[in-house]
Amino acid sequence: MAIEDLGKPAVALCNKDFLFDAQSAALGKGMPGVRIVPEAVPCECSVMEQIEAEINAVMDDIIAALTQPLSDEEKSPKPKEVEKFSRIVFKDDLEEVNRFFYKRGWADGLPIVPPTEEAVEEMLKGTDLPRDYVVGKIMPRLGKATVEKIAINAVMAGALPTYMPLLITGVQALMDPKSYFGIWGVSTSSFAPFWIINGSVRNDLNINSGSGALSPGDIANATIGRAMGLIIKNIGGIRKGVEDMGVLGNPGKYTMVIAENEEESPWEPLHVEQGFNKEDSTVTLYFHNCYSQIMPYGTDDKGILSGVIYNVIPDRKGLFCLILPPVHAKTLAANGWIKKRIKVFISEYARLPAYRHGGKFGSYLGAPAKEQLPMNPEDPMAIFWKPDWIRVIIAGGPGNFIGLVQGGAAEGMDWVTKKVELPANWDKLVEKYKDIVPTYVR
Amino acid sequence: MNGQYDVLNPWAEADPIRLRGISPRVADFAGKTIGLFAGRTKVAARPILTIVEKRLKERFPTLKLSWFLFGYNLTVTDTEDKARFEDWAKGVDAAITAVGD
Repeated sequence: MAIEDLGKPAVALCNKDFLFDAQSAALGKGMPGVRIVPEAVPCECSVMEQIEAEINAVMDDIIAALTQPLSDEEKSPKPKEVEKFSRIVFKDDLEEVNRFFYKRGWADGLPIVPPTEEAVEEMLKGTDLPRDYVVGKIMPRLGKATVEKIAINAVMAGALPTYMPLLITGVQALMDPKSYFGIWGVSTSSFAPFWIINGSVRNDLNINSGSGALSPGDIANATIGRAMGLIIKNIGGIRKGVEDMGVLGNPGKYTMVIAENEEESPWEPLHVEQGFNKEDSTVTLYFHNCYSQIMPYGTDDKGILSGVIYNVIPDRKGLFCLILPPVHAKTLAANGWIKKRIKVFISEYARLPAYRHGGKFGSYLGAPAKEQLPMNPEDPMAIFWKPDWIRVIIAGGPGNFIGLVQGGAAEGMDWVTKKVELPANWDKLVEKYKDIVPTYVR
Repeated sequence: MNGQYDVLNPWAEADPIRLRGISPRVADFAGKTIGLFAGRTKVAARPILTIVEKRLKERFPTLKLSWFLFGYNLTVTDTEDKARFEDWAKGVDAAITAVGD
């Protein structure tokens, strides 16, 4: 389209299974008539004979796409009629409301809480912003994330009104270009947002940073992430198999929310590392597609860090979050380790022979600069090229396991941290909802 | 439960997008310069266009081809390559792009 905008005719080649995705992207950018030739080259194919055979098959189509005269519609596309909805979009009982939302593509496969006027009014008490305030326009359809639309999706997710400040902050984080949301949110790699919460809101909202923090069971961890997923879908317009071309999908797209256990950490918390004050509450976002848990090779500092450097996945060489349970963080700190030293150590010593990295001595996705490549395939090559892409947080319960949460690599992407702005009646609101915690029969 | 729920719409409004047409085509390829724009983030993009280049040269011996390799997963005009891209586009009569997906 950039070529077309300069007045030159162009044709785009794409795998036939990405045709809807390409057409949706072209429409979204205002050029629905862009000529696309679907071909059957397997995605990211590395077999030249296959590429040649499939491209030979479409050469006539490529030439025709650049020479056949334009139709009237291609010269001057007409906007299609957009379906208009009334404010009350549906009325029925719980089961029919759920079926309606699911069939419309507005739900995520789980039952939703019906977003009635009353429920949305209550949700809006979680912010002082007016309901028609536009927090941002979410890609790819640039849907307006008004406070009200955020609240509607929050109700559907089962969120409490006290989560609204974090959801609004979450939308702001998605808007930050450094989040790379426009790419990761639709990638074949099925990246999912990982939301890390710091500051006093963690305790106000009972966001789990301890045992099973990433397991189901905590309404805050579950519904904050779920609400953000519905916001991405219903405001951003990302549809599975159309814009979201994730090959396998990612359960983290339902929710992946954690609070950092600042109280048991021997180091500065993540948000202070990101430049905020300790007393601020923040939401940090990055996109991951690889979450593993490993047993360290010992419980001394050498055993802990050996477990990390020998188990990080070489193909996922981008933003990396190391989750340490408090016991291992305290062991490392007692042996003189600080977060910065840990990050430098990991980036230096997480290495594999070059031939075990993807592509030619490195993944073609953000391959290292030529001067960083070794001469021999057996020479060790770092998995992480930038120590600053690594973060260390403290979370989890008693026990030995360490979390490795890895993402992709791209120039310009970074960790995104935004400050949470609280409404004037915050303390009263927290008081109203603070006792909503599970009590297990023992 | 048999309650009735009047529910609000979660789907957001978006401003209408200004639609624009595509550029007139070339009449033929004789003596023309065709641009080959390959993203570098997916491994198949460049090999795809290498085959396209080969086939075009066989069919149109007077055709010239001009490559543009782009290394970001972003719109080219939003990057530091914008000026280079616009210079390249000035020198081509038409272009073929490949992502590799």
